Amino acid sequence: MKWIRQLSADVDESADLLGGKAHGLVALHRLGLPVPAAFVVTTETCRAYLRDGRLPDGLDEELAAAVAGFDVVSVRSGAPVSMPGMMNTILNLELTSVAAALSAVETVFSSWNTPRAQTYRELHDIPHDLGTAAIVQRMVFGDRDEHSGTGVAFSRDPNTGAHVPFGDVLFGHQGDDVVSGRSQTLPLSALAEREPAVWSGLLDALSRVEAHYRDACYVEFTYESGELWLLQVRPGKFGGAAAIRVATDLADEGVIDRREALLRVSPHHLQHVRTPRIAPDENVLARGLGACPGVATGRVATTSEAAVRMNGPVILVRPETSPHDMRGLAAATGILTARGGPASHAAVVARAMGKPAVVGVGELVLSEGTLVTIDGTSGEVVLGEPRIVTTTADAHLQRLLSWADDVSGDHSERDEAQRLTAAHAVLRR
Amino acid sequence: MSAPDLLVLHALRCVGTAGLTRLAATTGFEEPDVESELIDLAVAGLVTRNADFGVWSLTEAGKAEDVKRITDELESAAARPAVTAAFDGFLVLNPELLDLCTAWQLRSVDGVMIANDHRDPSYDARVLNRFADFHRRAAVVCAELSVALRRFGRYRVRLAEALDRTKSGELAELADSTSSYHAIWAELHEDLLATLGIPR
Repeated sequence: MKWIRQLSADVDESADLLGGKAHGLVALHRLGLPVPAAFVVTTETCRAYLRDGRLPDGLDEELAAAVAGFDVVSVRSGAPVSMPGMMNTILNLELTSVAAALSAVETVFSSWNTPRAQTYRELHDIPHDLGTAAIVQRMVFGDRDEHSGTGVAFSRDPNTGAHVPFGDVLFGHQGDDVVSGRSQTLPLSALAEREPAVWSGLLDALSRVEAHYRDACYVEFTYESGELWLLQVRPGKFGGAAAIRVATDLADEGVIDRREALLRVSPHHLQHVRTPRIAPDENVLARGLGACPGVATGRVATTSEAAVRMNGPVILVRPETSPHDMRGLAAATGILTARGGPASHAAVVARAMGKPAVVGVGELVLSEGTLVTIDGTSGEVVLGEPRIVTTTADAHLQRLLSWADDVSGDHSERDEAQRLTAAHAVLRR
Repeated sequence: MSAPDLLVLHALRCVGTAGLTRLAATTGFEEPDVESELIDLAVAGLVTRNADFGVWSLTEAGKAEDVKRITDELESAAARPAVTAAFDGFLVLNPELLDLCTAWQLRSVDGVMIANDHRDPSYDARVLNRFADFHRRAAVVCAELSVALRRFGRYRVRLAEALDRTKSGELAELADSTSSYHAIWAELHEDLLATLGIPR
């Protein structure tokens, strides 16, 4: 076939042609991991579409052959470079005809050129002519029965870098409910008790993908009637202290060498390494997305009026924020919202004011005046006044920097970024 | 054009609690004129002044009066279909505006998100360039709105001014200050919800 590839362990083409997501699915196949049947319409097809303003000749015949045996599918975008949330996804599409498949592929391809996607590419130095692939995949249903569910998992804790699986699971739901934050998820470990076989399959998968990528990884999974399926994999891309810990641990585990560990940590990671954090062993009440780093403790104010009126530090807790909340935002020590992502009104204002903020925590019942602490790095919410630490990776950082000094041969007193930069200069020579 | 007292009343509805400077910027009136309207509205029991902070806000009666008069204005101008269509356009633009504000505050360097310290002119120029492109499309929606109801015309002027202030070096005027593009855009969002009677 010219425009389409069936995804299997035998595909050996690049992420440039298949897109990053499909390339990851091929890697999962090669690792012998369970992936729902899928084919990809390549980025080259999309480039032809963008150039000519219509889908290329011959695609309809190829699609007619490819869709044979498929029933209900998802059609997702997958560019060579990650552009999260910028393009269209179609779920639960019944493949009743080739026309339905063509139309879905065209919907995904045309979403490459929405103004928002163009802006994203401009800001992230992504060429406009790259194009996206479209992945057509058999739907697996996390809401099939009581032994079905869905979730996301990291092979290591993205907040600390500790070598323990981390993530969220949602019993009896489809995957988009996790990503959208519409439903309250449970910590991944809840899977161990409820579905031991799925849990052990997931642990095995996480260890295999780590060995393949030689890095902490992220996967999206669904299990249907007790059977585990993997839907996406990528390297974890951790920040701050977690990046330092993972690089150092991987070198100690012999997965990568010390030179590579040093190259994986950017001097920019060091900027956030001493941002105050809630101590890792504290009891987490809820978790959202960190929108502005730092820790804030205060009494809950559920309206701006209360935030202005109450004495002492307050955490403004709102479903989402609007201009009406400006006084409350100004009066608060920290900001917590039920809805919204890292580009929501609350997140933009919190950063403008330099206040710790957690967004998208879901429906959380906190009564007025309750003492809470929020961590704007990890998105954690804790009752009361937990222990605060200024680095979770000090020992790892010191080890990594001693390797840096060995590489540069300079053991003089300098700041941490200079020590790392000197080592990078030698390694990249 | 809407009556001056309605413009001041509705500005408080969209901005929340505010002082004279903010309300003057929102309505385009001089501060003494805003104050005069506010005093009349206070006498009618529609607004109240917080003496400790010198700021004004709507009373419950003021909120009800605003809903009534704004709805009357919308229906008597037969503007609901046009405002609804423009609101759909606004909702397409809204995530992009928030992306752009975020890009002004944060940038990815070596795969790490860091605060944008505005020391890289080429990065800032790229964001501003996209912002200018965004504004051209936003201005179309604002123009549609001001054809439907003239009071919406103020947003187009204020957004353009905020962008111009940023271009001339006032870096907080894009995403950070209370007079920023982001703040004005959020007011417009609130105004559209209030005008169409859509709850948050």
